Amino acid sequence: MSTRDPVNKTDPVTLAIMQHALASAADQMALSLYRTAYSTIVRDCLDFSTSLCDAQGKMVAQGITLPHHIASVPFAMRTLLKKYGQDIDPGDVFILNDPFDGGMHIPDIFVVRPIFWKDCRVGFAVSTAHHADLGGRLPGSAACDNTEIFQEGLRIPWLKLYRRGRPDETIFALLAANVRIPEMTLGDLRAQLAATHIGANSVVKLIERYGPETFQGCCQDLLDYTERLVRSEIASWPDGASSFTDFMDSDGVGGPPVRLQVTLTVSGDTLTADFSGTDPQVPGGINCTLSFTTSVVAVCLRAVIQADIPNTAGMFKPLRVIAPEGTVANASMPAASSMRGITGFRLSDTVRGALAGLLPDRVFAAGEGGNSLLIFGGKRPEGRPYVFYELVTGTWGGRPDRDGNDGLCNPSNVAGNIPVEQAESEYPLCIERYGLVRDSGGAGRFRGGLAIERKWRLLAGDSTLSIRSDRRDHRPYGLNGGSPGAPSLSERGGVDGVEILPTMISTSIEAGDSVYHRLAGGGGWGDPLTRDPTAVARDVKNDKVSAGRARQDYGVVLDGAGQVDPVATAKLRQEMISRFGRGSSA
Amino acid sequence: MRIGADVGGTFTDVVVLDGRGNLSTQKVPSTPPHFEEAVIQAIGAWLGSTAISGARVREVAHGTTVATNAVLERRGARTALVTTKGFRDVLELRRIRVPVLYDWFFQKPRELVERYLRFEVDERILADGDVQAALRESELWDLKKKLEQEAVQSVAVCFLHAYAYPEHEMMVGRFLRKHLPHLTVSLSSEILPERNEYERTATVVVNAYVRPVMRGYLSALRRNLRRMEIEAPLLIMQSAGGLTPEEDAASRPVFILESGPAAGVLAAATTASKAGLPNLITFDMGGTTAKASMIEQGRLGYHSEYEVGASLSTGSRLMGGSGELIRAPSLDIAEVGAGGGSLAYLDRAGGLHVGPRSAGAVPGPACYRRGGREPTVTDANVVLGYVRPGPLADGQVHVDPAAARRAIQDRIAGPLGIGLLEAAEGIHRIANTRVMKALREVSTERGRDPREFVLMAFGGSGPIHAAGLAEDLSVQRVMVPALPGLFSALGLLYSDVERHGVRSCLLAIENLRPREIEQLREALEKEMLAWFRRGRYSVEPVQLAFSVDMRIRGQTSEINVPLPGGPLTPQDVDALCQSFEDEHERLYGHRSAAGHTVEVLAVRLVGKAVRDRTEGVLQPLELQGETAPSRTAYFGSRWGAIDTPVVTRASLREVTQGPLLIDEYDSTIVVPPATRVWLDDLQNVVMEGAGSHQ
Repeated sequence: MSTRDPVNKTDPVTLAIMQHALASAADQMALSLYRTAYSTIVRDCLDFSTSLCDAQGKMVAQGITLPHHIASVPFAMRTLLKKYGQDIDPGDVFILNDPFDGGMHIPDIFVVRPIFWKDCRVGFAVSTAHHADLGGRLPGSAACDNTEIFQEGLRIPWLKLYRRGRPDETIFALLAANVRIPEMTLGDLRAQLAATHIGANSVVKLIERYGPETFQGCCQDLLDYTERLVRSEIASWPDGASSFTDFMDSDGVGGPPVRLQVTLTVSGDTLTADFSGTDPQVPGGINCTLSFTTSVVAVCLRAVIQADIPNTAGMFKPLRVIAPEGTVANASMPAASSMRGITGFRLSDTVRGALAGLLPDRVFAAGEGGNSLLIFGGKRPEGRPYVFYELVTGTWGGRPDRDGNDGLCNPSNVAGNIPVEQAESEYPLCIERYGLVRDSGGAGRFRGGLAIERKWRLLAGDSTLSIRSDRRDHRPYGLNGGSPGAPSLSERGGVDGVEILPTMISTSIEAGDSVYHRLAGGGGWGDPLTRDPTAVARDVKNDKVSAGRARQDYGVVLDGAGQVDPVATAKLRQEMISRFGRGSSA
Repeated sequence: MRIGADVGGTFTDVVVLDGRGNLSTQKVPSTPPHFEEAVIQAIGAWLGSTAISGARVREVAHGTTVATNAVLERRGARTALVTTKGFRDVLELRRIRVPVLYDWFFQKPRELVERYLRFEVDERILADGDVQAALRESELWDLKKKLEQEAVQSVAVCFLHAYAYPEHEMMVGRFLRKHLPHLTVSLSSEILPERNEYERTATVVVNAYVRPVMRGYLSALRRNLRRMEIEAPLLIMQSAGGLTPEEDAASRPVFILESGPAAGVLAAATTASKAGLPNLITFDMGGTTAKASMIEQGRLGYHSEYEVGASLSTGSRLMGGSGELIRAPSLDIAEVGAGGGSLAYLDRAGGLHVGPRSAGAVPGPACYRRGGREPTVTDANVVLGYVRPGPLADGQVHVDPAAARRAIQDRIAGPLGIGLLEAAEGIHRIANTRVMKALREVSTERGRDPREFVLMAFGGSGPIHAAGLAEDLSVQRVMVPALPGLFSALGLLYSDVERHGVRSCLLAIENLRPREIEQLREALEKEMLAWFRRGRYSVEPVQLAFSVDMRIRGQTSEINVPLPGGPLTPQDVDALCQSFEDEHERLYGHRSAAGHTVEVLAVRLVGKAVRDRTEGVLQPLELQGETAPSRTAYFGSRWGAIDTPVVTRASLREVTQGPLLIDEYDSTIVVPPATRVWLDDLQNVVMEGAGSHQ
């Protein structure tokens, strides 16, 4: 084409085609990884991501995979290039999990394959997957009460897993010797390797078609284009600052609540997120790396911009993230971090709380507070060991124009549930209940989503049990007059009766014991007394809200047939307004 | 005399084939929501024009979207769901997955059965068949009362582990059929005996939800056919491609949801087999979507799961959750939201996008001048000179090039500061990129080399885009069959009566006793033959094809491998593993490592009653209006704008060199420069060299 876009080097059509092709290649990597993985954490909970980078390590595409991995790649690529510089050859493959060398936490292994075309480096294919076990103190390699990284499993700095196409058997042997179920860990690692192979091939094919200059030009243009989109969006927001503070219930080892704080500042076309005021790093395994904290902010930014933005490193340029070193938002050696996912979810709640102050029409009330994680580890009756990761997720807070989704994955995540029939066929467990909890959604003009509950019974043998949950003392917040959601709960049932467990714990259970977990419910949005009474009646009919709470929280009176009694409702609402100024908070 | 009737959103196509192989066609506007009316009108019009008695019709084969529409428009029956105690929310929680990322305003679709109509029953069978809680009759009497109170019309039942232990579901079925005979009852163990409760629940719920609608539709159709003295069997196209008798379609409508697209693929398969082509990629591009599928060594591809009403914009096979999940065999068709009506637009940073939003039938592309102002892919094709100005099809639509030029100039070319033709070509190429996603999904993403395949293009927009796509995909040869717009109706005439059966299991291959597979196989075969014997096709020979679903223990992805006939020998088992490993390597680039166990998850059976058929000779339909001998068409910066000869299919006598435009009744075949084109003995237009020139 003769005419060029004044900003881009590449013509807009080739650029759009390249953008599609790169995104589709990253998706294809994801699909292959998903289909060939072994652990429930990857294949059912989809805790992994795939991406492609240009020759300088700048991310130019990410598969439709875990949002919270989005900003991790730039950090990882920076340390890789710093360490290996020119010592990167065709056929090499790099591996990393060390959170203090560019990784995120011990369970996440990065596999990076440099891509070459005619001996010239043109890019990198990257896959990151959460491994169900990398050794360490407890099955699953993740425990809230780990107190330093050395308890969490095998720590891998940037290493060459393959040198010029030849596997380094030393590393494979070391890995196999340090994990509880080598065929699962190595199987997932192989799925990661295959995914990067697919990504590399796709890039090579693109270069064969369009030539290396056009490819490189497109990569740069894509980064610039993304940056322009994000900047023009931020520029359309009013300048100003907004702060929000929230607390996690526990530091992971039974200690005090953990303060999370952020101040968001919009200035022209840039956004600054400053986490000063957040508590120092804690003894438990819930500390975040700066890469993870940055991901949290990027995901919120990406979602609050209601336009389609390519997933490239360009989106990070208008974004400045400040998190003082030594805090839970930017931990230093030797902090434990294997269960930092929960902190990420809660930092998201905090960032959204602050965003609500800037863009009130675009932000929802707090959801369940993130996935609750329960890890069962033991031996099957015939002696084979197992590690069973259960994620209980998710429910959404009420939104400025509609209710929160009842029972839908936290939007910072892409996890799925594990089918009851599959779990029961593969593990010595029986699942006795899985469903929604009545009256658990925060009241509001738009109701918060209902909590989810799930109950397991161990059928044979003993099992370790790690629970990572939150939002019991500090419930999901409502917005604009909405009430908070109901608190979370965990229980163990045994011969001695039922016992309430802390939000974060590592313990054990015996055959016949039951474990019960309930998430927190989503917060409500807006004054409950302004909720459409027929919506309340529908919730009562569906047993999502009880008739008592319809009255108490919403001031809605139903007749014997479950229909709204308009006169009694108007009267009750009037009384409540004069007494409380709004609906009573639940 | 056989009739094929395909009902689409806009048109209803009827094709009639007489005993001597003569084919006649009728195209009438569809008549929503009473879709059967157009079918009857078209058949009636044909009978009237030929003065043939309806009694001479031997068979009516029918493809319908009635069931799909009922789901999409939430117009199904008042349905209840009966579940194991503690699990009534399985339907609502789905797999929890969120189908789109970074969208805080995503709304989960409302369940087909609301929570108050989902009833729990105290019963429980564990994974190993152990009955933890027996189902008592008192529970059933309570259930009966609730169903009556709520005036339910249709009931779905799904209990945990019923895929292997259906006893409790059968008890409920017997009880309700006896005590509430006016209800239709769908049991998960009858519809889909496969593991995983959400998938099974969702499938049986859709079945129950559309069952009364389907029954009503088919009985109205039957009544009207009788009025025309047509007593011949009425056969309905299934999602998996075979036909099934009306009674079966009425009781298991979940198997016929994807009736329409399946027929087009079958027509392609039959056309290819007549032309001696074993490997084919089908490409069907209409107004809103493009669909692709793969036929390899004459075998159709199937998949076991899909979503009805899933948002095409997300199109991620990883996530799902935006539509109603159906786990039932269907032809493996990849679909993207890119068709002639897809809108082109610029985002605020100047990025050019095409689709998935579509101008639809109303307002339609700008060039139709029915109120559409935004440029579409069809407008781009008009500006490029590919689409013929003037009347289209039977003249209901008139193409105005000035309107197309205006839309693209004002909305795309002007703001981007590029030329009109460049902008139009950009839209055309970006649409191709989106279509490529579907084409790749069925070829390269499955480890297949497109160079070994022929691209068969049909649908209104397929022949316009085919040559360019073939080049992008490195396909050497493109084929455009005769009557590309009536292709789905033709497919109905090319099909056999077919039934799919499945039995779940969980057997490790290393200590597999062939007897275990044999037992499942015998049970399936017995049931299948009994079904064919009960039907009207008992006299026909029934072909049986067995296969098994296999996976590496611990993985979730299953691979279907054909099972050899005869008693299973240890060599057969080795061969199965070998086929599995080969396919695994093709799909994912690596084999399973030593130490991993391969498992058999299910045994499947496809039974087919093969009949003798007369197939017609296809003649192109007449063009409306006048055709100029040439048009200026733009073929990218490499070739520029060329005065391009325009011909009709019938006038294509010998091998000709592109550029060439072949105008047809409702489409145009675009033959770019440096492409050879000819007409084969079967009236197919063949293009070659599209993938080889650069």
